[in-house]
Amino acid sequence: MHTSRSSQTPLVRMSGICKTFPGVQALDDVSFDLYPGEVHALLGENGAGKSTLMKILGGIYAQDAGEFTVANRRAEHMSPKRAQELGVAVIHQELNLCPHLTVAENIFLGREQTKFGALAQRRMNAEAAQILTDLRIDISPDAIVSKLPVGGQQMVEIAKALSAHCKVLVMDEPTSALTSREVDELNRMIRDLQSVGCGIAYISHRLEELAAIADRVTILRDGRHIATMNYRDTNIHQIISFMVGREITEKFPTVTAPRGQELLRVEHLASRAVHDVSFSLYKGEILGFAGLMGAGRTELMRAIFGADAMLSGDIILEGKSLRINSPRDAIRHGIVCVPEDRKKEGLCINLPIHENVGLANLDRLTAPLSTIDRAAERLTTQRAIDELKIKTPSQNQYARNLSGGNQQKVVVGKWLVRDAKVFLFDEPTRGIDVAAKVEIYNLMNRMKSQGLGVLFVTSEMPEALGMADRILVMCEGCITGEFTRETATQEKILEAATRFARVAI
Amino acid sequence: MEPARAFTTPSPRRDNPLRRVFAARGMGQVISVSAALALMFVAFALFNRNFVSRRNLTELLRQVSPILIIGIGQSYVLITAGIDLSIGSVVGMSSMLSATLMTKAGLPPAAAILITLTSCLALGCLNGALVSRAKLPPFIATLGTMIIARGVAQWVNNNRNTDGISSQAFRNMFYYDKFLGLFAPVWIALVLFLIFNFMLSRMKIGRRLYAIGSNYEAAKFSGVNVAQTEMAAYVVSAFNACVVGLILTAMSGMGAMDAGNGYELNAVAASVIGGVSTMGGQGLLFGTVIGSCIWGVLNNGLQFAGAPQALKNIVIGVVVIVSVLIDRVARGNILDLRKLFGIRRKPQPTA
Repeated sequence: MHTSRSSQTPLVRMSGICKTFPGVQALDDVSFDLYPGEVHALLGENGAGKSTLMKILGGIYAQDAGEFTVANRRAEHMSPKRAQELGVAVIHQELNLCPHLTVAENIFLGREQTKFGALAQRRMNAEAAQILTDLRIDISPDAIVSKLPVGGQQMVEIAKALSAHCKVLVMDEPTSALTSREVDELNRMIRDLQSVGCGIAYISHRLEELAAIADRVTILRDGRHIATMNYRDTNIHQIISFMVGREITEKFPTVTAPRGQELLRVEHLASRAVHDVSFSLYKGEILGFAGLMGAGRTELMRAIFGADAMLSGDIILEGKSLRINSPRDAIRHGIVCVPEDRKKEGLCINLPIHENVGLANLDRLTAPLSTIDRAAERLTTQRAIDELKIKTPSQNQYARNLSGGNQQKVVVGKWLVRDAKVFLFDEPTRGIDVAAKVEIYNLMNRMKSQGLGVLFVTSEMPEALGMADRILVMCEGCITGEFTRETATQEKILEAATRFARVAI
Repeated sequence: MEPARAFTTPSPRRDNPLRRVFAARGMGQVISVSAALALMFVAFALFNRNFVSRRNLTELLRQVSPILIIGIGQSYVLITAGIDLSIGSVVGMSSMLSATLMTKAGLPPAAAILITLTSCLALGCLNGALVSRAKLPPFIATLGTMIIARGVAQWVNNNRNTDGISSQAFRNMFYYDKFLGLFAPVWIALVLFLIFNFMLSRMKIGRRLYAIGSNYEAAKFSGVNVAQTEMAAYVVSAFNACVVGLILTAMSGMGAMDAGNGYELNAVAASVIGGVSTMGGQGLLFGTVIGSCIWGVLNNGLQFAGAPQALKNIVIGVVVIVSVLIDRVARGNILDLRKLFGIRRKPQPTA
């Protein structure tokens, strides 16, 4: 396949693609092409721009600059529908099937066939069966999708994409939920598709499994195109070194504090997405958690904070074993959390600032008759506003009217007045501006120098390297690496973050 | 970190009470609906001078009171982003149970009230437990208890309305007594309003009710005992429905099996007209007062104007819809008519 490429015309030719989101240059002059019958892997760290590029190809986003062709037709006025007409099918990370409908109903969703105005159920079932047989997928067309295992649902997605006669298939991390047998099955299908001339763009974090299928790889970093190579001319070490060569442009304020006694110990913790995790946090330490999206870091924080049920394990704070069944318990013991999604878990955006801050501190703002001590609430809120430099005209401002950075500061501010011992920060700087980021960093450092413990989940590797005293790396709900600030490098972290237990080759 | 030591104490900004009132969520709609109420009042007064007679006004207030009381209960539940469909049936259950106990069982009114109250609160706890612990959708949970409570109302006196109750004291206390020119139900409503408004606007429980309605997860992450708070709303609702049941028994002097039929939705209407959001997290009990008054004025005023019952219903239905639409427009979500009628904009050429 590689040999004849120069003589072929590419199915997809993208050049000079740029895309800016508020505050981020997601793609900067990126080129990408895809030939019939090849598997082109698209690699890069979290936020490198892979998914954005594929969403432009799939008509979900419009590029700011640059152009592309699909099968020699200029792609203009793109929409998901137009992309489908051009023969592009995208299988997203999250499955997009209607779980209550049958396989055939899903495959023909939106383009149902009718007979005298009624659904031609039998014909659609027969055609779906044909498609599934062609793909050598052993699933009945009238099976209910929710009853299928995840791998089977993935197959249905592919069948659905192919039934629309696509020539270009984009797969965004198709194997993240599959068992190794299902991965084998998927690879077999991919090879079948190659042999009929489909081009496949394949995003994955599991570098090992590329060996079985990839013809070429393209590596993106910080929205820029770094390299495109034949897979057989390269190796995993080279790919990793291209992926992580990220410049650390930000400056991180550093504070040295003596590491104190053990503050928090987590032993053999297991929850729905965390398997047997043990670690210790010391006083005056920022402990970073690195890893890829979905590695189980947020779930670990949720379990410690009592937001998810712990299946087993112990949480020991200052030598005392805690029973934490709800965030209420955790807060009472001095463990507080700045959650990952501030609009979902952090703030009541339709309430004013002082009510958001007050809500977390109602136990200490009590006046007679179980009323709220409004003066104390004002003081508490004013303290959060002053200390965190929250930009707002008044405490009565609704949280929804604040910028992302200021919203995040309100979430942090809720906990400032409590005598908390352990702070859980889950992606605290996501989607906020640089100045606000630095203020969050300073705050974490101040907690550190006051002898508090900070657990810091971040997907930004420079941030982990710049802020954390120690870094634990997670992959598939397990800790797969531990580094001190001195020994950690981007390569080592990424290698640990992609240490998947089941390697499908 | 020690609270309030590590930093310089800022002088708290003086809290202008007037500003605070206007900053309260839902105040906008309360103001616009109050204006509408005033207009209606004037219009009906011009139409028929008897409408503003002292006699009619005291009667009007007495008619409004039950609606206000159940409206308060429903508002509590709506603020938590729930709904209580069992209110009307609990009214019926309260009426039948109290009347049966006073007639057939021959209990003194105080004992009858106590037993009735306990039963209704138990039903409120059941509602709360189904929603907050068993995580049933409020609509389903309270639909079930609505049917159950109506069943109980029919069952306690063998599927018959009760005989007349003998205790005139009971009837006077809950309906006929007049104090400072106002009937008993008005005083009951006033006291309940003051208590529950204080709870909602001043007490910690109130803050938590708004918080779980605004964002349940965030409230949980802030350490709120979400289940207990949600439970409280349904208990308040059942308590208020119980009181209304007693008022209806006092009014008619007997227990009627269909007492309170449809009240749960009248309560929603009163709340919603007054600016309580069915999406939760927003609304003032003062709005519910205005909403109930609009309901009462329309009912009473249209009667004076000689309008048939059917017309009254049509008008009240329209008012419910219009009052919420006005609020949308006032909040800047001006109606996009094109969207409303499904007309699509021309696709914007991509840059």
